[in-house]
Amino acid sequence: MVNPIHIVSIALGVAFALGFLGKREKLALGVVYSALAAMIAISAGWLSHFWGNINEPIQIFTGGFKPPFAINLQMGLAESVFTLLINTVGLLGAIYLAKELLQAGKNMMIVFLVLVLGLNVMVMTRDLFNLFVFMEIQSIAIAGLVILNPDRKSIPAGFKYVIATGLISGLLLLGTVFIYYFGGTLNIDFISQESLLYVKGGSVAIFLVLLSIVLELKPFPANGWALDVYEGAHPGIGALISAASATAGIFVLDKLMVFGNFTFYNAISIIGAITFLASNLLGIKQENTRRLLGYSSVGQIGLIMTIIGLKPYLGENTKFIALAILVSHYLAKAGLFWLAGIVNADKLKDWGAIRGHRIYLFLMGTFIFTLVGFPPFPSFFGKWQLVMQLANNHHFWLLAIILLGSLFEGVYLFRWLGYAIKWDEVEQNYPKIKLNQFIPIAIFAVLTYALGFYFGELSGYKSTFIYIAAAFIAFLYIVDFLLVFIKNTLSIAAMGFYLYTNLSSYQSYYLIFLAIFVIGGIITLLAGYTFKGKRTGFYSLVMMMFAGLIGLLEARTTLEFFFAWELMTAGSYFLIIRGKKSMEHALSYILFSVGGAYLILSGFGIAQIGHAGMGLDILKDVHYYAPIAFTLMAIGFMTKLASIGLHIWLPGAHAEAEADVSPMVSAILLKAGVFGLVMLFLSMGPQKLFGIDVLYVLSWIGALTALMGNMMAAFQEDAKRLLAYSSIGFLGYALFGLSMMSHLGWLAALALVIMHFLFKALLFLAIGGVVMRTKTKYMYQMGGLIKKMPFTFISVLIGIIVIAGVPPLTGFGGKWIMYNAIMEKEWFFQAGIVFFAGVVAFLYCFRLIHTIFLGQLKDEHRKLKEAPFWMLFPQYIILIIVFVLSALPNSLLKPIGDILMPYFPAGALEWHGQLALSAYGYWNGKLIMVIVIGIFASVFAWLYIINRKAQKVGQFNIVYAAERPSRPETTHFAYNFFAPYRKALGFLVSPGITNFWDAVSDGAHAIADKVRSIYNGNGQTYLAHIIAYVVIIYVLINGGF
Amino acid sequence: MQFELKHIAYGLLTLFIVLNYGLILQGIMPKIAARVGRRYGIRWYQPYIDIIKNHAKRSKITHGVMYYLGPVFRLSGGIGLLMFMPVIFGSPIFGNFSFAGDLTLVLYFQFFGVLGMALGAGESGHPHSAIGVSRGLSQVTALELPLTLGVISIAMQYGTLRIADIVAAQQGGIMNWTIFTNPFAGAALMLSFLGSMGRAPFDVVLAPQEIPIGPPTEYHSGFLGVLQLNRAIFPVAKLILFMNLLYGGATSWPELFIKTFFIYLWSVFVGVAFPRFRVDQSVRWFLGVPLLFGIIAILLI
Repeated sequence: MVNPIHIVSIALGVAFALGFLGKREKLALGVVYSALAAMIAISAGWLSHFWGNINEPIQIFTGGFKPPFAINLQMGLAESVFTLLINTVGLLGAIYLAKELLQAGKNMMIVFLVLVLGLNVMVMTRDLFNLFVFMEIQSIAIAGLVILNPDRKSIPAGFKYVIATGLISGLLLLGTVFIYYFGGTLNIDFISQESLLYVKGGSVAIFLVLLSIVLELKPFPANGWALDVYEGAHPGIGALISAASATAGIFVLDKLMVFGNFTFYNAISIIGAITFLASNLLGIKQENTRRLLGYSSVGQIGLIMTIIGLKPYLGENTKFIALAILVSHYLAKAGLFWLAGIVNADKLKDWGAIRGHRIYLFLMGTFIFTLVGFPPFPSFFGKWQLVMQLANNHHFWLLAIILLGSLFEGVYLFRWLGYAIKWDEVEQNYPKIKLNQFIPIAIFAVLTYALGFYFGELSGYKSTFIYIAAAFIAFLYIVDFLLVFIKNTLSIAAMGFYLYTNLSSYQSYYLIFLAIFVIGGIITLLAGYTFKGKRTGFYSLVMMMFAGLIGLLEARTTLEFFFAWELMTAGSYFLIIRGKKSMEHALSYILFSVGGAYLILSGFGIAQIGHAGMGLDILKDVHYYAPIAFTLMAIGFMTKLASIGLHIWLPGAHAEAEADVSPMVSAILLKAGVFGLVMLFLSMGPQKLFGIDVLYVLSWIGALTALMGNMMAAFQEDAKRLLAYSSIGFLGYALFGLSMMSHLGWLAALALVIMHFLFKALLFLAIGGVVMRTKTKYMYQMGGLIKKMPFTFISVLIGIIVIAGVPPLTGFGGKWIMYNAIMEKEWFFQAGIVFFAGVVAFLYCFRLIHTIFLGQLKDEHRKLKEAPFWMLFPQYIILIIVFVLSALPNSLLKPIGDILMPYFPAGALEWHGQLALSAYGYWNGKLIMVIVIGIFASVFAWLYIINRKAQKVGQFNIVYAAERPSRPETTHFAYNFFAPYRKALGFLVSPGITNFWDAVSDGAHAIADKVRSIYNGNGQTYLAHIIAYVVIIYVLINGGF
Repeated sequence: MQFELKHIAYGLLTLFIVLNYGLILQGIMPKIAARVGRRYGIRWYQPYIDIIKNHAKRSKITHGVMYYLGPVFRLSGGIGLLMFMPVIFGSPIFGNFSFAGDLTLVLYFQFFGVLGMALGAGESGHPHSAIGVSRGLSQVTALELPLTLGVISIAMQYGTLRIADIVAAQQGGIMNWTIFTNPFAGAALMLSFLGSMGRAPFDVVLAPQEIPIGPPTEYHSGFLGVLQLNRAIFPVAKLILFMNLLYGGATSWPELFIKTFFIYLWSVFVGVAFPRFRVDQSVRWFLGVPLLFGIIAILLI
């Protein structure tokens, strides 16, 4: 083991030696790299020494004397980790900045080395004054580096940095001096806090020391100078400040917290939480890249401060949580700053240029998802543990603030990502790939995946399935250059293989969802064969989404469930944003999803209070606040279900998605929410929140959602939006059925869910085929397509008959069961609304088929071909299934009934063959089908006999009362099809909820705008902020002077 | 009950009786309405002549497969609706195929014909057909709400969805009829009935005497003949449904003829006295007083 003092000596020595190298800049740089590499080696060596062994930290004595007469450094497990972090980003940062360092000369390289040196000693030192000295060194070095490329912004930024940190260091020095005065020593280990705190002056001294460290970490609102620095500095330096300097600062804070008492811990956690929330709120308004990253940095450090402040409560878990989040911040921030240096786009909207190289986009996505806290990254596991521990300690307000801050962070980060992926009005100056800039970013990206895996292991996360799936997804990413044909076959084969090998281990209601997710997935993937070429990026994303969905079924602990949930969300977000006009809809989708996911997370947190393990069965036995946990989780799942109030993201997201993505997200993905609700209701049962039966409220929500969805659908001009609203409506039925908590109610709900999957996939595929051929989504621009696309017409016809619930097809069965369920439950008013919604469904069903396939054929469509074979093939598979289920309803309903028996033994249907008997009535699907076919055939025969010589006529050969119809456009009745209905009932669909969410968003923007005006750019004002901050915090902590 | 071939024979018998009754009703009701308007009216056997004439026409055109099938759907819907209901209470011959499904089947099956007809009309390409369909659907969806609430109220009152059982519970005197034991449900149902018969004030769908509009616009010759057959059967089927639900059913054919005649007359009386509503007015009307009756009917269960 190399003596850690050599970290210092190598850096100092090399810094001095550089002076001898004259004009040989390249050699100088090489020497610097070697020095940094050596420092990394030393840190890594010590890390391996302490890892897994319980070795005591060693003390390094300097100056020949022992402390407290001389300065000592300490190297323990924590120090080795932190110095390794600092040195790594130092080396990689230097590699990244090779060109700038060479240009600036070896003086700048010296400053760089000195910075890394200063940070290392800050971590290792045990002496307060030594700490002050090296903090000054660090500040001066950063100030020097900030003006690495002198321009209009960086010079004032550097100046503000100098004066701000000068003041902060001054406070530190003042505190240190008085600690020496009252305590008699400068050594951290020897200062006894008790003696100091008894004396008034001593407590002030400690306060000054601690607060100066806090101020170094840039708390809100005394951080205007920091944001200007982030904005003005070269991104490579921004990376260092954010990753290295903040990391060292955090360690120093933790080191010095031994002085503080309980009040200080609370103060730090509150300061941190406010910083986190405020910075992320202000970030929403931000349009400048580097400043945005500055807000995010300040916010994340605030979060870590909060965690440190919560040490008394978090205990053993503090290290894990803080490190997980710190490491994520460190890797992602450095990565994003480095990317900012490459893309060189000051405005967020210009980031579309990153699309020039897909790999950069992938890296950017990786880092953004790391920051927000998605799996498989370390921040996911850190946040999970944090939430669990906060819940265990009943710190619910803090939990809410942290999740809210995370949501705000998600707002601006995903908006930025959306610009990068989709924004079109961008100059085509794509960045080139320079190896020295690419390699550090790539290394950090690999590290974030690797460390994510590692932190997951530490959390106890074990999912063989996810590991296999992850490997398969990575494989698909690597073979992305292959043709669609091959990748699609691989994907379908993988899903089929999973089904084949795992079917036997599935039981109960999991089977239903397995059928929908996997078999349904295979059917919709078949449509993918339509696409030619390579379809880059698509297959790994699709498999990510399906991996998440299957992961939900495989999950046995709440952590696994949540991991799968977030994975599914991420995959589907990327799929949705592929649509041509999807940018804002994908943002809306992911924000609602993340919000809902946080509610689910909170619910899980509350549920596990008092439990040792995290298996999903803890939901069956929630000790504290069960109704609140239930409500939170229900709302979270309802966000996925797009229930009324939480539905505004769905129409845009589903309508703008690609032709084969829409069936996947609408028919399959929404069922994940249903699965969540099924699991929740079965585990927790009915709950009373403040005396109100939650399930009763949910039944009303379900009924109103059904009505709203169906009515909105009837008024749409865009075919895919119509289908999207129809999904909202149908899932309202499902929610209503589930909330009944009775055998028949659940039978209806689950049968409807399966039917919805069938006909929604059918219709989206059919309409997708139509949109592909006609190149328009608007129904009034279509018309008369029955002649050109007869097969698609038949699909849509069957689909709408199923929706309408008209016998003899299978939709009627669902309606019949629902009638019986309602009569049993006696929820008549909701029933009225639900059945009204069912009849309103006729409106949009007819509109869909009439305006597209009937009516007048437009001139530009006269040469249209039928939809592609591979779009039709899955449709016809579904059609066959629908017919089988209609003729033999037993085959669907009896198995579901059997699955429900253990949970709801009473009220089941009696089956005699295909005749179903309930307490109120009866229904025989097969007999009805036979009779109807018989009558139909007879009447058809009759008509044929009398009219077989009917003559086929041309398009405009219609009774027109002595006029002539001129053009198809003026003769096809399609636009505003239900105008009188809209006039009568349109008030029911006024966009109240959309206005509400718009107001929320505008409000957040307005508040952010108002608050950020304190950052007026004036350095003197920032100094005043700092001083005022110190005074106010002092007053608040001590309750007066 | 199991399906046997004799059921088909019995069904055809029922169909024959109902068809003739319907055609005669189609002749008599306009005569009554005309007499109210101080006119003479058509001959009572005019519908027979119309059907024979239409079938005899030589010119027949078609706009496509769906157009061809439209009347088939319509008539199948009408016949099916009749077949799924028990017509004469207590009679094994005239029970039809009611053992296939209960009241919900009957309520939902009426849309079979409507939907098919609408599709057929759509393929003709005539905008007036489509406008008529849009109006018709709007009205139907509005009247379904009080109808559903009333039906639920009646079903809960008797504790069953089987039509035969509902009829059985109303036997034993006029005061046992649902219209008297559950007046609000009865009122909701009778007001919805007005809408579904398509007479004034809800006749904007076909807008007779005003403009050729609505689904039948493009239909002629044999197609129109089939539609007219349906126009005889379908209303009678609906009348029989309402009779079974509200007026104690019928234990013999004469009783059926009398009861359904007077129920039909209710819609004719309203029709001759009121002008036509616009579609949005009729939608709002159904969601006003009839809905209120339906809600009260539910509350009083």
